[in-house]
Amino acid sequence: MKTNLRSILTGILLVLFLAGTIFFIKRNKPVPALPPKSVPGALGLPAALKVRGPAAAPVKIVEYSDFECPSCRVVQADIQNLFRNYPGKVQLTFKHYPLTSHKWSIYAHQAAECMNAQGKFWLYQDTLYEKQSEWAPSNVPPIEILARYARELGADMDRFGKCMADVAVARDIYAEKEEGNKRQVSATPTFFLGEERFVGPKEMQERGENAVRKVLGLPPKPVPEKKQEPGTPFFPAGIPKQQGA
Amino acid sequence: MSEKNYKILFLGRMFLGLVFAYSGFTKLMEPVENFQGGMTAYEIIPYVLIPFLARVIPWIEFLFGSFLILGYLPRVSALVLAVMSLSFVLLIPATRIVTGALPANCGCFGEGSLIHLKPLQVLTMDLFNTFIGMRLAFLKTHPFSLATLLETKP
Repeated sequence: MKTNLRSILTGILLVLFLAGTIFFIKRNKPVPALPPKSVPGALGLPAALKVRGPAAAPVKIVEYSDFECPSCRVVQADIQNLFRNYPGKVQLTFKHYPLTSHKWSIYAHQAAECMNAQGKFWLYQDTLYEKQSEWAPSNVPPIEILARYARELGADMDRFGKCMADVAVARDIYAEKEEGNKRQVSATPTFFLGEERFVGPKEMQERGENAVRKVLGLPPKPVPEKKQEPGTPFFPAGIPKQQGA
Repeated sequence: MSEKNYKILFLGRMFLGLVFAYSGFTKLMEPVENFQGGMTAYEIIPYVLIPFLARVIPWIEFLFGSFLILGYLPRVSALVLAVMSLSFVLLIPATRIVTGALPANCGCFGEGSLIHLKPLQVLTMDLFNTFIGMRLAFLKTHPFSLATLLETKP
């Protein structure tokens, strides 16, 4: 009886200690402030930075994202809200971070970088997220689908095709990912606002806007109780959304 | 049981515990969406279960992995981890049969982890883990464990 009680108490203490360790480490994860370096762009041309918003904007956000990641798609609405609510005050720089667990991600990133070379990165990015459920569950590399999106946006398909076959582009994408790794990015989406880091849609929704307001010298907004269930997995074409969570 | 076998099983306990504790830890350090993304790559897992599984599995892996290392409830922990290993063993061929393809990365460890295994590598490891977990679950005493310590009368 005494042994059982001792055993139960030990178990409770162990669970508390282990769970506490996880929460503590997660909370105090270091945020190194390494400056982002520029990487050479596709086809030997200097990189066209994937930047949205004016250069003089006081709020400068860097985003590391993966086009195949459901939470990166979910967080786009929050980013749009920032641009809408603080016009002219926010600048966003996109950085490639294709996750190895997403098998078609690198193709999508390469296509987006090829569209970047033609000045259509943001339009293409929006299409990739909007149609994630079309290309991501493909059983074969979705090159034709990605090319169709590019065609629909009026890309020079000759240039696009050559760029898609250029290994230097993929190398540049991985260089950006490596740059993220050096900043201890390990999950997508990760945002940096100065030295502050926000990982995942939940953190961006709960703390992101108030961090922006702090930079702008505005009072904080009350945090919404529950805005959106983050990271609902994407649904392959043909599966109605009601079946999902 | 011979002393040699006993030592081998002790090492097996450490290995199994470390693999699962590390796997759970790396997933818990990242947003749950990453693991959800990894699970959706196995197209046979019902979508409705993925958000729940993605939140629960890393905790089970981390807690029972740590328990096994420390030797707290070693038989139960070994059984739980053996069952989990077995379910991964079944998941990989089932995905291959149903969808005709396998994800490039097994998704067993977090993206920021030092270990990235291909599904066939993880299949081999999980077969070994299932075997060692079952063997440990049937072992009555575990050396250098909290369980032995707790059973000792003061």
